Amino acid sequence: MRDIEARYRPATLLAVGDNGLLVRFARELEEEATQRAIAFFRVAEQAGLPGVVEIVPNLVSVLLRYDPRAVSFDALAGEVRLLFAREAVPGSEAGAYRIGIRFSGPDLAEVAERLGLSRDEFIEKHNLDPMRVLGGAFAPGFIYCGLHPEDMRLPRKSDVRPTVPPGSVLFAAGQTAITSTTIPTGWHVIGETDFRNLDLSAMPPTRLRAGDVVQFEALS
Amino acid sequence: MNRLEITRAGPLTSVQDAGRPGMLGYGVAASGPMDPSGFARAQAAAGVSCGAAVEFSMAGMAFTYRGGGATLGLAGGAFTASRNGERLTWPGGAKLQDGDMIDIRPGPWGNYGYARFDHEIDVPVLMGSRSTNVTVGLGGFGGRALRAGDALALMALASAPASLRAAGDAPDPDQPIRFIWGIHADMFSHDDRAAFCDTPFVVSPRIDRMGVRLVDNGIFAGQRILSLVSDCVVPGDVQVLGDGTPIILMADHQPTGGYPRIATIVGKDRPRVAQARPGASLRFAPISLDTARRLAL
Repeated sequence: MRDIEARYRPATLLAVGDNGLLVRFARELEEEATQRAIAFFRVAEQAGLPGVVEIVPNLVSVLLRYDPRAVSFDALAGEVRLLFAREAVPGSEAGAYRIGIRFSGPDLAEVAERLGLSRDEFIEKHNLDPMRVLGGAFAPGFIYCGLHPEDMRLPRKSDVRPTVPPGSVLFAAGQTAITSTTIPTGWHVIGETDFRNLDLSAMPPTRLRAGDVVQFEALS
Repeated sequence: MNRLEITRAGPLTSVQDAGRPGMLGYGVAASGPMDPSGFARAQAAAGVSCGAAVEFSMAGMAFTYRGGGATLGLAGGAFTASRNGERLTWPGGAKLQDGDMIDIRPGPWGNYGYARFDHEIDVPVLMGSRSTNVTVGLGGFGGRALRAGDALALMALASAPASLRAAGDAPDPDQPIRFIWGIHADMFSHDDRAAFCDTPFVVSPRIDRMGVRLVDNGIFAGQRILSLVSDCVVPGDVQVLGDGTPIILMADHQPTGGYPRIATIVGKDRPRVAQARPGASLRFAPISLDTARRLAL
């Protein structure tokens, strides 16, 4: 029953300039909205929406970019509303990945302490359940996974590290993230991985997509 | 082999083609020309099909052409250009011979100009485009801005591309910049929204391919919008920073943003934002989606 209600709770459709339509499921970071955004992303990708040139999954929304010469906002919005009741069709199943992490980050001890856990307890709890890829447009190849349970959430740090290298494993705001390029970050750096999500010479250039399932494993 | 030997390059001189749209979900902005209309007019000025452009900034650039005969097209803003010391029209086209020296210097208006050739610029195609994304160091000539001493190889155009359809008139600087209300416009007060439309904004000196920062004129000083969920942004989005400063995001924008977006400039008017020099005054006017679509057709 709850699923049916959730599916029909109206999303908000917003114009983004003259060539974007944002499907917003919530304004706050809510688990249910992240799931709806992923589900809609997967359905929209298969739907062959008229005039749509790009579909970008966000944490709690999905952006459709369209060619205004091919379709109007209103016509596209009508097509989008028709998709809300549709289930993802077979063939769109999420990928499943195991990703090894060396939990050696400079912020690991502080993160564990602030969550009231030992280092080993934190690692075990972090890796206990698989996580979903929620999106990743922050930087090339960057991905967010989550959401973590309420008792595993910390805000971002108050200061920003000027650079962290590709393969850094970050933790904040109910999510674990993996970097693919050198970026500045205000997230806690808890480890590193050899997993490389980005290959600029490939198409698509990333291995993980929103909705994929990731099981993290500790490497010694 | 045909090539350009760069002898002088202002900041932010870079290789740009039409850009790499469709990559935002992978964390890569589309890049491409800051002034797509100027980019198109450079091809029209050449009068033949052209490849990628060298986009130069206000300080201009100079290069020596090496190789067999070629055709050059110049447009975007109003620069002062010469070939071997003889003045060229702007926008305009020119035939190039081995050893010709082209010198492009600042002119009366504009921040970005385009040099295009009846050849392709021989840099790797990355994710479908030769454009440089200077923010992340990706594409173009080694992912970076061009500088004196660089040599750009030219090669034959792969195929006869697009028509040389008229690229439209140069932008009228006196008209307001047209926008669609942004996805967070409802979080601003009525007074803030009214002031955004009624108050001129001055372009600050902090302009680059990522964005155009406006001078804080105080109208957003009281806005307190906190803790937005970050999501992807698009060129033309007007973000209001925590201190009230508005920034218009441009071709090499960061892919996502967490600041409130009061407006999104329509594509047709983004070239005018790109070409507005520091100190220029901009006014903003909301338009309907129907009007915006007519502008895009």
